[in-house]
Amino acid sequence: MVSDREIAELIGRVGLRDRTAFTKLYSGVSPKLFAVCLRILKDRAESEDALQEIFVRIWQRADRFAPSGTSAAGWLVAIARNHSIDRLRARRPVTDALEDRTDIADLGPDPEEASVMRGEGRRIDSCMQELDPDRAGAVKSAYVEGLTYQELAERHGVPLNTMRTWLRRSLLKLRECLDR
Amino acid sequence: MTTPDQSENDRSRDQLLAGEYVLGVLPLDQRRRVEDRIVRDAAFAAMVMRWQDNLSSDLDAEYGEERPPKGVYARIEKRVFAQNGFGNELARGGWWNSLLLWRGLSFASIALLVTYASLSTGWIGGPVGGSAPGKQLVAEMSGEGNAFGLRARYDGASGRLQLTPVAATTAERRSLELWLVPGSGEEAISLGILPESGSDTIEVPAGHRKRVENGASFAVSLEPLGGSPTGHRTGPVLAVGKIRDL
Repeated sequence: MVSDREIAELIGRVGLRDRTAFTKLYSGVSPKLFAVCLRILKDRAESEDALQEIFVRIWQRADRFAPSGTSAAGWLVAIARNHSIDRLRARRPVTDALEDRTDIADLGPDPEEASVMRGEGRRIDSCMQELDPDRAGAVKSAYVEGLTYQELAERHGVPLNTMRTWLRRSLLKLRECLDR
Repeated sequence: MTTPDQSENDRSRDQLLAGEYVLGVLPLDQRRRVEDRIVRDAAFAAMVMRWQDNLSSDLDAEYGEERPPKGVYARIEKRVFAQNGFGNELARGGWWNSLLLWRGLSFASIALLVTYASLSTGWIGGPVGGSAPGKQLVAEMSGEGNAFGLRARYDGASGRLQLTPVAATTAERRSLELWLVPGSGEEAISLGILPESGSDTIEVPAGHRKRVENGASFAVSLEPLGGSPTGHRTGPVLAVGKIRDL
């Protein structure tokens, strides 16, 4: 994969409707974005369709990318992930919200974990390490594979509501750690 | 009444929702609702952006790479460049003739156009650079929604570019920067900052004149006051237009 600076520059040029830059961007980043589609959709034919759609969106949205803000590669991966997850959710509609009764007040740190949360460090990887390995694993597979709460619960062999609480508590801890 | 506790809770709830959205665990209808909120709630959008940056910096590396099969790009190209009706619309004169645009034109800019039209016939000069002597080129630049438009006329003989901003509506004190996007795929070249009102000419540096040709484009981006600090475009593209024969 090309450097983030090069990607940002290519996106900048694509925003100016530069076709050569679009071709270069495709050859530079399509392996990464295709891997994202495959990992989430787990179907080659659909991943090829998704990749087409993703590059059409990149062409359409490149003029709104501000290179000064966020990582250019991250911006592209977000477009790929969002589209793949949309496809996945449309494929199997989940009625997940029905039994969602979690109260925000119930999401304070686990007593046994509270002591571990005091370490320094604002980088996401060190904050991930502060989570219980099981829960960090759930956060990771949710992000990387686009799993639903139900699928995560099955994989980890816990009830749906337990998984929901795990993940939400983990998110709040991550936020707290990153903001520290 | 909102107590501090309540607003603290609301904040946490928003943080969670933003995090769940970026993680991808939400069902489709909730994803759509979150996306609607991102558009109208800047504070919430910032939370989503933050999660996005945090999680992607650590987890995007998990994906690895896999080269897509040959043939996919050809299909993308077909869709993108067929869909990009902008050039075709320009060729038909659709943008320039649009009623909305003319309604938006101020009296002053019409007057400037008329002045220009009468002056331009008097332009004379020897051949400079790569364009055919005396060749006149024009590009009409318009952004999505026609917030403003520009007409650029280039005189190959003098290397002078005549610009008429039309219906400009930039609220903040920012600069509009003009770019020449060579058809060859080289990087866009800054041609300078546009005047804030009225019509003015920008002199294209002699070294770049051969790049002002059919197939290249002019584009305008919104930049910090005084222009891009980096020499590359840093703000959104407000307008872009292909150059063609007049």
